[in-house]
Parts: sequence; C-alpha cells; structure tokens
Amino acid sequence: MAQPMRTVLLGLNSPGYRSLALGYLRAYAEADSALAGRCAFETLDLDTSVDPWWAAWRVLGLEPDVLGISVTCWNARAVYEVCRIVGSVRPECAIVLGGPEVGPAAEDVLAAHPEVSAVVRGEGEVTFAGLLAELARGGKAWRVDGLALRRGDEIVSTPDRALVADLDSLPSPYLTGLLQPLDGGAYLETYRGCPHRCAYCFEGKGYGKIRSFSDARVAAEIEAVATAPGVKSFSFIDPVFNLTDGRLRKFADWMAPHVARGLRLHTIEVDIERVDDEAAALLREAGVASVETGPQTIGAAALAACDRPFDAMKFAAGVRALRAHGISCECDLIVGLPGDSAYDFLAGLRFCFDLDPGKVQSSTLHVLPGTGLWERALELGLEFDREPPHEVIATPDVSFRDLRRAEVMASSLQSIYRARV
Amino acid sequence: MIEFVDISLGDGPQVQCGRCAGSPERAAFRSGAEVVEEAGAACKGWSRGTGPNIRLTGAEPFTHQELPRIVAGVMEAGCRRLAIDTDAVALRSAQNAHGALSAGVRHIRVTFLAGTEGVHDALAGMPGIFDSTREGVAAYRATADAAQLPVSITVAVPVCRHNLRDLPSAVGAAVEAGADRVEMSVTDGGIDLAAAVPWIVAACDTGVVNGVWVEVGGVPFCMLAGYDMHLADAVRGRDGSKPPVCTLCPLDGVCGGAPVGASADQLALLAPPPFAAKLAPQIARARAQEVC
Repeated sequence: MAQPMRTVLLGLNSPGYRSLALGYLRAYAEADSALAGRCAFETLDLDTSVDPWWAAWRVLGLEPDVLGISVTCWNARAVYEVCRIVGSVRPECAIVLGGPEVGPAAEDVLAAHPEVSAVVRGEGEVTFAGLLAELARGGKAWRVDGLALRRGDEIVSTPDRALVADLDSLPSPYLTGLLQPLDGGAYLETYRGCPHRCAYCFEGKGYGKIRSFSDARVAAEIEAVATAPGVKSFSFIDPVFNLTDGRLRKFADWMAPHVARGLRLHTIEVDIERVDDEAAALLREAGVASVETGPQTIGAAALAACDRPFDAMKFAAGVRALRAHGISCECDLIVGLPGDSAYDFLAGLRFCFDLDPGKVQSSTLHVLPGTGLWERALELGLEFDREPPHEVIATPDVSFRDLRRAEVMASSLQSIYRARV
Repeated sequence: MIEFVDISLGDGPQVQCGRCAGSPERAAFRSGAEVVEEAGAACKGWSRGTGPNIRLTGAEPFTHQELPRIVAGVMEAGCRRLAIDTDAVALRSAQNAHGALSAGVRHIRVTFLAGTEGVHDALAGMPGIFDSTREGVAAYRATADAAQLPVSITVAVPVCRHNLRDLPSAVGAAVEAGADRVEMSVTDGGIDLAAAVPWIVAACDTGVVNGVWVEVGGVPFCMLAGYDMHLADAVRGRDGSKPPVCTLCPLDGVCGGAPVGASADQLALLAPPPFAAKLAPQIARARAQEVC
C-alpha cells in the first residue's frame, strides 16, 4: 500500500493565537472519505516571531508532499520567504496558498512566486480537500473548482466554487479536538459574510449574503471552548457580533453558566450605532468585557469614498451605553483613507478621546486585495505598497510625510490617553 | 487634544536656562489645601473632553512637604490623569517612583535644555542634573512597567537663544530617555524666530523618524510651512483664508493664512512672545466674543 500523502499545514499567527482557518481545512479534509487513508496531516501553528528560515526548517523536517499555508497581509512576507526556501530545498513539494491576501489576487501571486503550485480562491475547505484528493490519486488538479494553478507554462483559474450552503457541513476544529482552545487566544466563528460593505475591509471576504452556523453548533462550540482547561476568556471572529437583539439574547443564555463562574468575552466586534441600553445589557449578560468598533473615520468625504455609514450621535450613545454597563470600548481609526486629510484624522481622534471609550487605537490604511479600495486605487489616487501588508504611502489628501506624522502623533496621544487611573 | 489644567505648587528653583532668566533660590510653596481646592474646582467644572486632567507645575513637587496630601486630594477630587512637572531626581529612588505611581501620578514632564550633559547642566547651572533626571525617568518607567501601569513621559524643551543648535539632540535625548512626547516651546522673547525655525524643524524631524511626537508652541504656523501639524492643537480646518486678526500681525505680509474659526486660546498659542503683546487686543476681543 502506498504511503499516505504527507500534508503539512503551516500557520504563521499573531503570538498567542492558533489558526482557525487551518483548523477548518484540516477538520474538513480529515472527514472527507475521498482522503481517508490517503493523506496524513500535520499542523504547525507557529507565530510571526519565528524567523521564516526556522519555520522552513520545521516544515522541511516533516518532509511534506503538500504544504498548505494561510496567508494574510501581515504574515505574507514571511510566508513567501518560507515558500522560497521550501521550494528550493524540496521542489517536489506542492505548495498551496489560501487566505484573504492571496485569494483575490491568485494569478498574480502565482506569477510572482514560481515556487507556489496553486492558490485557493475564496472559501477553502472544500477546494483544498478536492485538490488533495486529485493530488493523492495523481489526477488533474485543474478539474478542481476554486483554484488558480499552473498548467504547463500557463497560469489558469478554474471556475469559481459555490459557497458552502450549509456551514454545519464543515466539521468544527474545536469539537473534533483538532484545535485546543488557548486562554484569550481562542476565536469562534458563528457566521460568514458581513452586513457592511466598507471599501477598505475584507472581513466579509466577498461572500455576499450572511450564512450562519446552526444554533446547536454554536452552542456546542461555546460549551467546548468555555469549559476547556485554563480558558478564562475567548472571543468571536464575527465582523458584527450584535447582528440582532434576538441573537444577543441567545448568546446571553448560552454564556450564562460560564459568565457566572467568571469567564469573559474580549474584543468583540460590534456595530456600535445599534447598541442601546438593552443591547449593552445583553452584551454584559453574555460576559462581554470589551468590544472593538469604528468609527475608522468621521470625515464625510472618506465615509462616502468607503461606503460607510456614520451617525455621530448614535455612535456616542452606543459608547455611553457600553460604559454604563462596564464594558470597555476600543474605538478604531484609520489614517490615510481617501478623502481624509491629516486634520480629518485628528478630528476623528479628538472625537474618540472626547467619548472616553476606554481605548483608542489607530492604524494606517492597508489597501487590501479584494477590497473596493484595491479595485479603485488608481481612480482614487491612492499610492500604496504593492507588497504586503500594502500600507498606504500617500493619497491626494495627505502627503507621505504627514501620514507618518499622523501615525507618530496618534501614538503619542494614545499613550497619554492610556495613562490614567 | 487631551488637555491638562496647570495648577502651580508655587515658585522655586527649576530646570531652565540660567542665561535667560534667574530662578528663585528658595521655594515659596502654596499650601496644600489651596492647591487641592483649586484642583477640585478644575475637576468639578471639567468641560475639556476626556478628563479631568491636572498638571502640578511650578516649584519641584518632591520638595513640597505636603505632596502626598496634595496628590491624594487631587485624586479624590476626581482627577483621572495627574501629571507633575519635575526634575525626576527624587524618582531615582524606587520607593519614591512606586509611591508616586501608587498615588496616581501617571504622567511626568521633565525638562531637557540640550541633548548632552555638558550643555544641559551648564545652561541649567545645576551640575549633574541631566544624568540625575534621566536616571529618575528610567526608574519611573521601569517601576511602571514592572507594575504594568501605563504611564506617559513628556520632555519639555524650552527654546531660547542659547540652545538652538542643541534642539535636535535634545529631542534625541528625549527619545533615548523613553519619552512619549516632546513639548518644544519658544520661551525667549528676544529670539530671532527665522534663525530658530531650521533648528526647530530639524528637531521635529528627529522626533518623527524616531517615533516620538514633537509639539511646537510659540511659533506662528506661517513660519512652520510644511510642519504645521506640529502645531496641531492650534491649527485646524485651515482653508487658506485669514481671519481679521491677522491684519494687525507683524507677519501679515508673509503669512499664508491662519486657522479659520480659531479660538482665542488657539490664537494665543500662535502668537510667539515677541508678537503676543501686539496681538493682545485682538485676542482679548476674540475671547470677549466667545464669552458672548
């Protein structure tokens, strides 16, 4: 009997986290009967502090036939370095990339990185398993939908793959035991998609409509993570946690026994303009200790350019409601959005500081593949780094030097804001 | 943007350029009760955004016998951010650093007259003060880090005729000392601003490339072309047109425009000492209009 195909899944995560995406990929592939006995999996959950050469060393030690890596804007440079090393040392290994950094620009990634064999476009679980099945049987990878890959000297894209209609058909990385929850570092996903279409963001991943996991699945995952040894807090990766009040009610009920013994949810992303006193009370009941929200900008021109609604009164009311219920709020701002001058950004900072939300965080715009800003960058006059993480360099509204000044000034102000009793 | 109300502890020896101004040899402190009362009033009527935030200025606070009582009183009055102007010498003692942090002092502002021990100490007329201050700042930061308490360290750099060439290195020293921010302000009424500006902008650049913000006071934004963000609190929403106050400014002929809708405080910030007197009537008028 032939040896199973050795498949290594590599995650280069933020320190303290493990890759939920790789958990999904592996859980689905391991449950796929077409791969039973034909594929052996190993997950290397490393973090971005690991030198890419040592990450490659770890990978090569496993002698993989297939290397799958999830790529985001902030780990991409390290990932490409790993790919170059692994591709040089073990050219027979098929390197497959997926994730938000590469999916929307799949053919360009293949053109720029000859050691990469294929790129998964969009939702990865079914496509990756299908690719492994073809590779395991020595079949034709170009028959698998949702891929960009090499066919001879050509780079081709296969037809788009339809989204998974029933998310419950994707086995849970937590319930299967593949992903061990870490205190503070465990994330749950209860739906895919995003109700908003902000032009700078790829959290919705172009999925369009929202698809949810079933209540039973979510409740079971909460139970598994909340009762895992050592877990005192975890979070949800959902772009908007407070989609509806009814949903918040369910979370409050599911979390109640765990909240009673001190478990907390941190850094929950909310649509704060929908948070009133009742919603804030439900968030508190659900054990939410801190939330993360916009406004990203308060500049009218930038809001319009980014297709983003903003109501200052509702936003402020949301922050007040959360504070009244003892929930810390992190207000996020982006510097370098099209339409925003440096002074618009500073006005946003002032707006946030005046609300006294608990934490104010600013970041520089990343023009991410797949986003509206990526597609309209030329039209909007956005100069940005084509190499990941795609930071904006200058815009028609703010110069390179003023962008850097705004970053430094914001950092200074944040330190002053944080230093309080 | 995050404002502090300055409350003086009294007069006393300070780190300042001894060639520009003498300093009282002996401290004349206000009573603790008086300071706390003023701080309490400031906290009670706070309407300046996130806060209340109080900064104790004037004489060296660690030589005030009632400092613990003052700090406790200010915190009791509801102060959220308490800053002190200090030479940080007392903070070299871990016990003092810990005590200050525990009492609620999360902001300190120290003064660097230059970037080197020799020049700083000579200008201050206080041998050894530069190193002592840096040691105190380091101890304060280390103690805060160990206790996981967020603190903010500001370095004030007064600008005068005697330290112009040292401004970039003073900012460099602030960076090295772990400052979060530098406040550079023209304090010398007789300074030639045109000669000072190149050194000031070089100091601003030194800060930015090292990740430390430099805020400039006492220079009209028209003289900081391309660097107006460093006057951020004074300059907002500029569209190039000038408010009426500019017509009497001695720089009107070369000025590209002042902030539209600038408040009296902002105008005051824009007016450096040599011109402040000439702008005083307009500032007073603007202030009166705001009151109305």
